[in-house]
Formats: sequence, structure tokens, C-alpha cells
Amino acid sequence: MDEEQVVKFVETYLKKKGFKQAELAFHDEVQHNSNANSVDIHSDPDLSLLLLSLSQSEDTPARYHEEYRKLRSWTHSSLDLYKPELLRVLYPVFVHCYMDLVAKGHIQEARTFFNSFREDHETVHSRDLQKLEGVLSPSHLEEMEFAHTLRQSKVNLKICQYSNELMMQYLRNTKSTMMLGIVNEHINFQVSPGQPSSISDDAEVVTLIGNSQDAANQINKKEIHWGLLEDSLEERLEKAGGLLSDSEKTEGDAKEGDLDETKKRSVEGGKQGASVKKLKKDKAASATAKVVRPETNTSSIAPRVKSELPLPVIPTEVEQSILEDLRNRVQLSSAALPSVSFYTFINTHNGLNCSSISQDGSLVAGGFSDSSLKVWDMAKLGQQSGNSVLQGENDTAPSEHVLGPNGVKRSYTLFQGHLGPVYSATFSPLGDFILSSSADTTIRLWSTKLNANIVCYKGHNYPVWDVQFSPLGHYFASASHDRTARIWSMDRIHPLRIMAGHLSDVDCVQWHANCNYIATGSSDKTVRLWDVQSGECVRIFIGHRSMILSLAMSPDGRYMASADEDGTIMMWDLSSGRCVSPLMGHNSCVWTLAFSCEGSLLASGSADCTVKIWDVTTSTKVTRTEEIKTGSANRLRSLKTLPTKSTPVYSLRFSRRNLLFAAGVLSKCK
Amino acid sequence: MSIVPKETIEVIAQSIGINNLSEDAALSLAPDVEYRMREVMQEAIKCMRHSKRTILTSDDVDAALNLRNVEPIYGFASGGPLQFKRAIGHRDLFYIDDKDVDFKDVIEAPLPKAPLDTSVVCHWLAIEGVQPAIPENAPLEVIAPPSDGKNSEQKDKLPVDIKLPVKHVLSRELQLYFDKITELTLRRSDSALFKEALVSLATDSGLHPLVPYFTCFIADEVACGLNDYKLLFALMRVVWSLLQNPHIHIEPYLHQLMPSVVTCLVAKRLGNRFADNHWELRDFTASLVASICKRFGHIYGSLQTRLTKTLLNALLDPKRSLTQHYGAIQGLAALGPNVVRLLVLPNLEPYLRVLEPEMLLEKQRNEMKRYEAWRVYGALLRAAGKCIYDRLKIFPPLPSPPAHAVWRDNRKIVTCSNKRKAGTEHLEQPPPKRLATDGPVDVVSTDLSPSHMPGEAITPAPSNDSNVGPSTSSAHMPNSNDLDRKVERGKGDHRSMKTSAILNQVWKDDLKSGHLVASLFELFGQGILSFIPAPEMSLFL
Repeated sequence: MDEEQVVKFVETYLKKKGFKQAELAFHDEVQHNSNANSVDIHSDPDLSLLLLSLSQSEDTPARYHEEYRKLRSWTHSSLDLYKPELLRVLYPVFVHCYMDLVAKGHIQEARTFFNSFREDHETVHSRDLQKLEGVLSPSHLEEMEFAHTLRQSKVNLKICQYSNELMMQYLRNTKSTMMLGIVNEHINFQVSPGQPSSISDDAEVVTLIGNSQDAANQINKKEIHWGLLEDSLEERLEKAGGLLSDSEKTEGDAKEGDLDETKKRSVEGGKQGASVKKLKKDKAASATAKVVRPETNTSSIAPRVKSELPLPVIPTEVEQSILEDLRNRVQLSSAALPSVSFYTFINTHNGLNCSSISQDGSLVAGGFSDSSLKVWDMAKLGQQSGNSVLQGENDTAPSEHVLGPNGVKRSYTLFQGHLGPVYSATFSPLGDFILSSSADTTIRLWSTKLNANIVCYKGHNYPVWDVQFSPLGHYFASASHDRTARIWSMDRIHPLRIMAGHLSDVDCVQWHANCNYIATGSSDKTVRLWDVQSGECVRIFIGHRSMILSLAMSPDGRYMASADEDGTIMMWDLSSGRCVSPLMGHNSCVWTLAFSCEGSLLASGSADCTVKIWDVTTSTKVTRTEEIKTGSANRLRSLKTLPTKSTPVYSLRFSRRNLLFAAGVLSKCK
Repeated sequence: MSIVPKETIEVIAQSIGINNLSEDAALSLAPDVEYRMREVMQEAIKCMRHSKRTILTSDDVDAALNLRNVEPIYGFASGGPLQFKRAIGHRDLFYIDDKDVDFKDVIEAPLPKAPLDTSVVCHWLAIEGVQPAIPENAPLEVIAPPSDGKNSEQKDKLPVDIKLPVKHVLSRELQLYFDKITELTLRRSDSALFKEALVSLATDSGLHPLVPYFTCFIADEVACGLNDYKLLFALMRVVWSLLQNPHIHIEPYLHQLMPSVVTCLVAKRLGNRFADNHWELRDFTASLVASICKRFGHIYGSLQTRLTKTLLNALLDPKRSLTQHYGAIQGLAALGPNVVRLLVLPNLEPYLRVLEPEMLLEKQRNEMKRYEAWRVYGALLRAAGKCIYDRLKIFPPLPSPPAHAVWRDNRKIVTCSNKRKAGTEHLEQPPPKRLATDGPVDVVSTDLSPSHMPGEAITPAPSNDSNVGPSTSSAHMPNSNDLDRKVERGKGDHRSMKTSAILNQVWKDDLKSGHLVASLFELFGQGILSFIPAPEMSLFL
């Protein structure tokens, strides 16, 4: 107010005295000052309108090209300190230039413009560019959701004050009204005082998503309880006192013998080994009963939450065997890497779409493109192959084999019922049920005891890409091409909840360890976290650059890992919604991720025929302490790369005893 | 405008019965067609990803069309990805090679084998983070020296617990395998089982840990088994198989392996019986040596030089026996024509002078020795012949030689043969005009000669060559050369400078190899002619 008054006084004074020139100059300066000071150009509606009208008045397609070219070369020659920030502006400007050209019907020019500058953005935005490339008429702009939302919404860019000034100055001085118009219309600068922001914030900027960043930030402020379930078996185990935990500790000493046992068990799948071991363990436990337990488990730090879902009751004998497994768990760390048992599918004739391994590794399921689901009992297979492969005796064909219709011996159980390719399969935690999802829009529940289909769940309208049992069974979640994820329970044929919000296919789904949340990954390059009880979206994780293919939740409930088509894995902190560290290493699609049971290791399996083991503990600690520091320090350390023999890895699973199972298809075409 | 040209739209329209689609309509349809196509591909890629593949198949496209409620395209279903071929003459035009299949063939063909049923096999990918060396696993990298491992770890600044490399312990299976192979090699190298073993050596992936043992075994056996021809051959076959195996890194063991191999090439005696065909063993070993040089020559620069030095020394030492000479020649010849040209040919003349008396019945009474000498002579002839063949083959094809070009070459060979029989005086240097009139005759004769070539090469008097040869004189030779060149230049002016440059080059090369041929001819007589490829031969005749 004061300033305006002063200005008026000066103006009238100058008029009175007849100083015309001075008055003009003053006027200019005032105008200029107000521009420079105004943090948001568009907050000054008159000016932006003026600029818009300017840009509308004389738009020839060549001017877009020319002005963008100039802006680009100016940006590239700008000061190193501010360059990254300014470069970030280029992409939205580029996209909107192109869409403006298309909207005005200059198709030919739009295409040449697009092709001459697309290399700049190819590395980061290649998928968006591929989509936009097809937009060739104004009607496409309306029809294509991606383009439509882009046109409707503004892009938020964080930029420091000086960069902002630099840019505006440049645009005005060169009279690049086109660019100015686009910047005003489609970019929302969030100007921050001081130094340019660090590059690590980039992740939030790289995706131009339809919904505005604000909304995402708003959502991410919601409270989530990522703690583990109270009264879980693990907790009970810990509470059970010194004796049991000591036995857990002796594990480290007797690890070698133990591992042999685990191996045997995995192959035989029998319970005899376990009972033998129990005796051993008891002895060992009594021997070291006086040793004080030195450290607490990581999971004990995690807060406990109540379940919001009524949970199924676990039968006591099963509970016993789980407790047994937990007691015999091998402690994994960067120094103690897991053993990996690999199941290779052969002779699939390019038909295997997915595979799944049961909790104890004794059952392996494969979903095929010919609509069938096949389940192998590795316990039986193990005996057979153990004999025939190692000793070369073929005459010991076991009689338990399932007989096919023609009396041909089959090594697997065939489940038929789907009408389209089976895209996903999942075992219930106890291994007595399998769920499979298919292109025929249904999910089917099969019993491994009865070898029959029990329920067919219909609800999705399009192919169901993924289905996952909850960690405690009974409930399951599905993800579909119809852009929804749904929560079901085994006893109802209709979904309990429908999670809608993704802007493209929901490609994968994963349960949180406490069953109160599910995470979904989508082709819109975001991962969302949903509250199962309310069905609300509680987190949006933005940062991936391509379709998300797999998700994994850490057992302590604090972190989530997601992997995409490019081979990038990202580790997210659920509570803050921020990326802890991106993991580079794979160079092709990462089909599967798995956390080890105590959460210290992450395993990833990829189409580049490797299983990689990553160290989770050090990386998360490092980022805790050096969170402010940028770049190289905060990445997960790759501990080990295990190459397979031209076998892309389809699924991974840690057993309760921390034995890693992997499955994949031998593919010869290389 | 759009990547779909309007012609495509017109063709599509015609295929569904719209014959008179206006150009404007086609033009405005094109962008929409492109957009729909991209849309379908986007969905197809999604289906591909969910089938956990990285190669798009026609099934994915069908699934995508299904998603869009469009009738899928029938008739393209196939289990695997489609194989596209590039259309000849176009840079970015591809097509699917669809073979015509006759119904009769399909009906009459025996039923194909039933495809194997899907199954699952299980193995240990890693045990406590260490990959066991079993055939199911990808072949291990060469066991790295510990210092190397440390360096790479140190780059990673985070604290690391370094696992020392595993002690070199052979698994029980590998030990059994090794014992079996050595036993087969020593005792039953002519059994079918040994052949199987060789195949296994050449293909199995888990064998790397055995390589040091194999090299040791081979070195030992060669050293003490020089009298056993069968054993030596079997050992060389084992070496050959090991070299073939793509999963074995044999480089670190080459230095142990090479002496035994070279021994089998140039040893004085291989085998103790008269019937042992040690020539064959030497030939085989020569090819073995050549393949080693070819594969590892670029890694060990000194490998080939050291080898050729050894071989050349063996060849040029007159005290060595002829069998050794034979091995050396074969070894050198296997290393390639360039080696022969640079190392053998210069020494050819003096060597042959020494060899000749050994070959003649009257000078060398010992039949065995004479036979050996002839073998050596044969090997030399072959090496030199291959060299000259290779030399002649590399000429660029003459750009559609006109008549005069043909007799230009004739002229030249005349001059060459001139040099060699420089003594004769009778001459007739035909002026260019005269040549022109002679042209057709000459062309006819050269056209005929290739078909007659084999016969002529054997008959002692090749008609054209030796008749014309003496007919020109050395005195006029340079003159004729110049004249020809002038003619060439004159004609060359009509064409671009480039062609004439090429021709000049050819001219020079021709001349050089002409000399070479001539000198070889002198040394070997008619024998060498069979090595000259037919078209080139026609030029020389």
C-alpha cells in the first residue's frame, strides 16, 4: 500500500512538472520491479493475460521451433550452478509446445519439431515421448488421457529465486512470447529463496503425472501405522523368553549342520527332519541356556499395531511348525548370504507367464498362456530327480505320479478352468490353496489338497494382472487392467473393497506385513499405498520412469521396494513417502523382489538372467545419518550377483528359515 | 505428416472393397491409423510384460486387440517371436519369410515328434552365497587372483567383509569325470565312447576347474609317449575339444599346452611302427596350432612370432630330418598364406635345391627317405600354391573389361614369361593397331582356355602360354609395357580418374604376382598351375 502511494505521489509530481520522459522511464521501472518481485508470474493476472494474448496473436509454427531452439541453447549455456534447474523447465515447455502445435493443426510442423528435439528428453522420458508421438490430431489430444491431463493441469517445478529471475529475464529480453506463454500457462514455479535445490529432489520432477503434485503431497501427509501386528507369532516367540531365543542364537554356531538340514527339508519337504532337529535344538538350547541374549531383533523395535481386519485363526499344529521354522531361521546379513535353490522350468514352449513358490518351497506353480495352471510337488519330484539325475537310474519311477487322461505319467497336477492366459498365481501361506488370475477377468481358487477348483471370483472387467494372498491368508488382493485393485476374502464371491485412483493399469499388488495396507504398482509409473479398511489412498510414490513390475514389503513394515521395466529398483520409506535409495544394477525388467525374513537382504530377479542380493541394513542406516548428503552414498549396496544359465528369473521367495527359492524358465533363444 | 503413407491407407481401403478412396480422405485417415496402431502396440507391450517376456509376439498383439474388443487377426499365431527379414535393396523394409508349403509334403511327411512335456528341475544356484560349479549354473568367471578381488571391493568404499577365494577343491563328480576321460584317452581312444567324451569336453560348461589337470596330463603323456602314435593323436583330439569349449578359459594354461602341441608337429619320430600315419597327426596338429593362433593371437602378441620362429628354425636347419621339415611346413602353411609368402617363399629356391637330390631315384636309394622327400615336396607345393591362389583371389574384379583390356593382360603375361625365358630372340612387337585387329582372336582363345585348363595344366605344353612366350623379346618388353599403358591411359581418360587409378593398382599387383607366379612356375613346373583359380588363369594364358 505504502509503495503504491509513493509511486502515485511521484507520478503526479512528475506530471505537474511536465517531465514526460522521466515519467515514462519511472513507469517502466516500476513495472519492471513489480515483475521481478512477483514470485509467480501468473499471480499477476493482467500481465499473464497480456502475454497470453501476445502469444496468441501471431503464432506461426516456425516461431515455436525458433523460440524453443533459442531457449534450449540459452539453457545449455547457462551457469553450471543453475543449469540443472533450468534444464528441468525445458521438458514441460517442449511437451506443451508440441501439443500446442498439434492443437492448432500444424501436424507436419509438430512432427518436425518433435523429432528435432526429442533426443534431449529421450533418456528420462522415453516412454512419455513414445505415447505423445502418436498424437497427431487435435481430437487425439482430447481422447488420450495422458495428453488431456497434461493440458489440463500445471506442472510444479521447484526452482530457486535466481534461476527464476534469470529465466524470466531471458524470456522477456528476447521477446520469446510463445515460450513465456507456455511457461505461464502450464508451469507453476515454486520459488524458493537461496541456493538451487539439490539434484536428489529430481525424482519428484521427472514424471509429469496427470494429477498435480499438490494432491500427491496432500495424500502423503496422511498418517499411516506401519508397525507390525501385535500378538504375531514372531512376537510371541520373542516373548517366550530366554530359552527359545537362546536356541535361536546357537543357530549361528550350528549353522552348517542346520543348513544341511534345511536343504534336506526343502528337497524332501517332510517333517521328519524337523523333528530330528528339534531334539538337537533342545539339547543345544539347554547347553547354552545361560548365555544372555545380546541383541534384540530388528522387528522388536517396530511398533505394534492392531489389525483392522478380523484375522483368520491359525490351527495350533500349523502354529507349532511355524514357530519351529522361526526358531530355526538362519540369520542372514551382508556377511552371511543365503543359499538359493533354483527351480528351472523346461520345455515350456514359450508359454509360461508366471510362477509361484509356496512358503516352504515344496510346491511350485506355473501359470501358462494356454490357460492352464500346473503345480509341481517338489517333495516328490525331489526324490525322483535325486535318484535319476545323480545316479543315472531311470527305473525308480515313483507310482504316486498323477496319471493323465491317456495314462501318461505327468509330474505335475494340471488345473484347468481359466479361459485365457494365466497371468499370476499365489499360494496361501499354508500352501493348501492357490489363487490364479487370468485374462478372462476372473480369479480362481484351487485346493491343492483336493486338486480341484473351488471358487471363481468375478468382478474385474478386464484381465487381472496380479493376485496376492495376504500374509495371514483368507484375504487377497487383485490388480487389473481396469485400473482398479480389489480386496477379496475367500468366502465371498464379490470384492470387499475397490481401490480406484491409478491412471493406468494396475500391474502389481503387494500386502503390507500388518495386513492393513496394500501397495499397488501401475503403468502410470506410480506406486500407491491403500488403506484396506477405508479403501483410501494413503501414499503416492512418484519416481519411477517406467511401468512398475514388482513390489516387496520389508518384514519390519517400514520399507517398500519397487522395481520397474528399466531394471531400476527403488526403496521407499513408507512413513515419509520418500525414496530412500534407487538401486541400479539390472539392465532389464525386474520381475520379482523378495525381502529376507528378518529384512536385512533384498533379492531381485530379472530378465537379464541374474539374481541380485542387496544389502538393506547398511543402506538404510547410511541414509538415516547422511540424509542431507546427495548422490553416491545413499544407494543400496549390491552384495552379490548370481547369474543363471540363460534363465530369466520369474519369482523369488524366502522360506521362513531364510532359504531363498527362485524359479525361472530356461530360454535358449539368445 | 504421419509415418503411415497415404498409399498404405489406399491399399487397406482396397483390401476391404473401397476402390475409390479420395486422396484427401486417405491423407486425413493416416494420422488416425497411426494413432490406433500405437495404441494397440502399447497394450500389446503391456501383455508382453505380463507374460514376463521381452520379445513381442503376435499373441500379444492378439491379446491387445481383444482388450480393445477388436477381432484378433487370425493366422499369425506362433509359439515364438516372428523372424523378420530385410528386403534386399531397402534399408528399413522388413518382411516375414513365409514359405510355401505343399499339402502333399505335409500329408506325406511322418508325424513330428510329440513335444516334450513341461517339467521343473531343481538345482542349487548358490550355497551360502557361493555358486557351486555345476553344469546347471552359468560358467564361472576365471578364478580371480585375490588381489583383483580386493581392488574391486575397495572401490566400494563401504565396509566389506572380503571372502577369500575358495580353495581349489574338485568335486567328487569332476574327479570321476577326469579319471574316466584320462582312462579313455590312454586305453580306448578308438571306441565310440571316446568320441562322446570329446563332444562332452567340447560342450560341457562345468569343466573349467579341470583345465589345469588336463594340461598337466597332456604335457606328461606327450613327453613320455612319443612312441605311441594312437595316444598322441588322442591327446591332440582332447586339446582340440578343450579349445572348442566356449565355457573354458584356456588362456592361462596355453603356455603349458603349447610345447606338447608343437612337439606333436615337429618331432623327429612320432610313433614307433612303420604303419603309423604320422603325417596325418602332423596335419591335424598344424590345424590345431593355427586355430590357437587365430583365437589367442591378439591376446598374446608374441605367440605367433615365437611359433613361426620355432617352425622356421626347424625348416631351415638342414640337419633336421625331413619329417621335421614336413611338420614345420605344414605348421607354417596352416598359419596362413601371408606367413608362407613372407617366410617360406624367399627360402624356397635354396631349399628345393637341397631337397631335389633326395627325391630322385638315382641319388637316393632309400625308398623310405625318398618317400619322405616327396611328402615334403608335396607340402611345399601345397603351401606355395595356396599362397599364390590367395594372392590372385584378392584382386578386385576388373570393371567389365573391354576387348583391349583382355589382351592387355595377355600382353603382360607375355612380358612376364618373357623375363623368364629371356634368352630367345625371335620377336614381334605388335603395334597397338595390330593388336586391335588381333583382339577378337585373342578373346576367343582366352574364353576357351578356362574350360581346357585342367587338361592343359597337366599336359606339358600349354598351347598359348609357351608359344607366345618365346615369341616376344626382352629388348622390347619395356616398350610394349609403356605402349600398353598409354593405351590404357587414353581409354582411361574417358572414364573417371578413379577407375584408372584402380586399374593402375591392379596393373601393379598383377605384375607383382605375375613375377611370383613365374618364379613359382620355374621352381615347381606345371604343378603350381592347378592352384591358380580359373578366371585368373584365363588372364595368364
